[in-house]
Amino acid sequence: MTVHLYDRELACDLLVVGSEGAGGPAAIFAARSGLDVLIASKGKIGRCGASQCAGADFNLDGKSAKELGFPGDDRDSPDRFFEDLVREGFYLSNQKIVEKYVRYAALNTADLLEWGMQIYRFEQVHAEEMARGLLSSGVKWVRAVRRQVQKMGIPIIEDTMVVDLLTREGRVIGAVALDLKNGEVVLVKARAVVLCTGGWQQAYHLTSAPVDLTGDGQAMAFRAGTEMIGMEMVQYIPMTMLWPPLARKSILPYIMMETEAGPMIQLLNSEGERFMQRYDPSNLEQSTKEIVAIAGELEVEAGRGSPHGGVYFALKHLTPEGIDFVWSKFEEFLDENKDKRSEFRRLLPQLLERAKTEDLEVGNAVHFMAGGIKVNERTETGVPGLYAAGECSGGLWGSVRVASATTQAGAQGRVAGEVCPEYVRSVEHMEPEKAQLEAVHERIMAPMQRKEGVAPVSLLKRMHGVAGEYLRVIKDGEDLQNAYDELSWLRREETPRLFVSASKTRKLNYEWELCLELENMLLCLEMSTLASLRREESRGAFYRRDFPHTDNDKWCVNTVISNRDGEPALHLEDPVITRIQPPKGRMSFEEAVASATASLKREEVDGP
Amino acid sequence: MTVPTISVRCFRFDPETDAEPRYQEYRVPLPDGEMSVHDCLNYIRENLDPSLAYFINCQLGFCLRCNLRVNGKVVPACETRAEGDLTLEPVNADEVIRDLWCEST
Repeated sequence: MTVHLYDRELACDLLVVGSEGAGGPAAIFAARSGLDVLIASKGKIGRCGASQCAGADFNLDGKSAKELGFPGDDRDSPDRFFEDLVREGFYLSNQKIVEKYVRYAALNTADLLEWGMQIYRFEQVHAEEMARGLLSSGVKWVRAVRRQVQKMGIPIIEDTMVVDLLTREGRVIGAVALDLKNGEVVLVKARAVVLCTGGWQQAYHLTSAPVDLTGDGQAMAFRAGTEMIGMEMVQYIPMTMLWPPLARKSILPYIMMETEAGPMIQLLNSEGERFMQRYDPSNLEQSTKEIVAIAGELEVEAGRGSPHGGVYFALKHLTPEGIDFVWSKFEEFLDENKDKRSEFRRLLPQLLERAKTEDLEVGNAVHFMAGGIKVNERTETGVPGLYAAGECSGGLWGSVRVASATTQAGAQGRVAGEVCPEYVRSVEHMEPEKAQLEAVHERIMAPMQRKEGVAPVSLLKRMHGVAGEYLRVIKDGEDLQNAYDELSWLRREETPRLFVSASKTRKLNYEWELCLELENMLLCLEMSTLASLRREESRGAFYRRDFPHTDNDKWCVNTVISNRDGEPALHLEDPVITRIQPPKGRMSFEEAVASATASLKREEVDGP
Repeated sequence: MTVPTISVRCFRFDPETDAEPRYQEYRVPLPDGEMSVHDCLNYIRENLDPSLAYFINCQLGFCLRCNLRVNGKVVPACETRAEGDLTLEPVNADEVIRDLWCEST
């Protein structure tokens, strides 16, 4: 009997996996140079992924901003932006990538203006002493990118999950995808592939990210032989709504903290205490995300948390009139910018109304993956024909993202689109090997064919259980070892038994998609745990109770995971340095944070 | 204390295999007192019946692909509070791909 290994076949010069903040520019720039580009999106363009949810601010240095016609700041420069990023990332960044980022931040801004993205204002964000932020909205961003993609007529296959890359003679020659709507297996022959798939936040129960982010890009890149870097650098956002449930996952409280209303906001424990007074008396709730997240978790551990496992976000002290005033300021801002986002227009006033009589609950949610597929400054992965841009890639941020992910997406997407045509023109299409097509087909179809085994929903719950119990903001060796043992067991023993339990339909089958995503999420989570276990210090977004020091003598190194016969194998690599040598010495986490963020309190020496 | 439950009647239909649509009723607890329509659907999928097809993405009103007919009225499932018994149908029953997911989703 002949088994059909795919139902449809497509061919293109370049396959871009992901259609949003990074994938859009990658496709646009590659198409501009004449490549025949195809975008594969797990959702619909402009309506999926993390980009749409961005706040959103875009970063560029003040000098470049001025050149683009914004108020800007002459004291600033791409070099100064570079220095701040390397220092605030605690020196683990690939400095060549950072150099490229600060240059392309300005180019990306010009692109977005050209594509018609509305910018509200130029402002101070991330508490830098110099304004480096252009404020807009994620929805307006992804719509501008979509308009440009559509204007250029770049074809897209939507609601389609790319499952695996195809390789031959050591290079990527295409991919196999699953059309989620009709269940067709699609072979895409491509001379090169750019991955723009975001993070793996869905491996955690509580995350601010949408459902698409399941580590598909990282996992398929790993299977194709690339390395991963900094997988332990998982960033949490401390003020994610836990209660009321209609606002769950929203980061509105965090966004409020960044506005003029910020200093009015108090975080309280169950005893009504403003607990940040104990952890960071001078900055209180305005402390870094990491410190606030650790403080909140310590309060919950000490039994002083809120009923839903967080802390209280309190505004009651403002009086109802004060709260109305906060809303009127927000509303003015939204009206002024014709911003219709439902999160602000619908949810925020509801929450503020409730805040008059109740304390709302907020907690730590997994927000951003600072590590990922190891790339160089040209977004090349080390496997010829494979590129990665945006959050799915690693190397830019070192140990913590301190500037905008939106700009990372746009800048790296553009770099990928500019770099890959030269390679694409140097290679021919290759026929995939039958054995590899069979293996991928088997991986896709096996959960449908099994009549019994492990139901994907039960494995999802177990994975979330492990992450929730052991992989929190504050980590320690024993927890990490437990997590690693359980996760590697789940991946090796349970994923091969996954089966679609309820309906074998190939159309919009949630269980089927989840089976494929679980393999990816478990692999990413296991790699992250392996790297966390190895790093015996605390740095940036990463905090270990049993190693609370930032140790520049021993640990100013990156964890890199490679694929050894299908299994993750970890080694350490020095960061790529161009201009800034990491400091020496060992200091407490708090001292390290204070020193890395020194520029935030730097005196203005030479006025504007 | 008993947890209040509601009845959630869902439109089920696969035009390729079913002669006509039917409605399937699920009992969904509201332990938090307040839940969205999406929360109810997720509860069904994770605890009662993973074969139910519906759209979910950002859950916060950004993507606006999750419109459903909730008790006859077209609203985003993520933003709509589940209050009392629910009947959930696709926006356009004539162009259903499966269950609550139609061509215009």
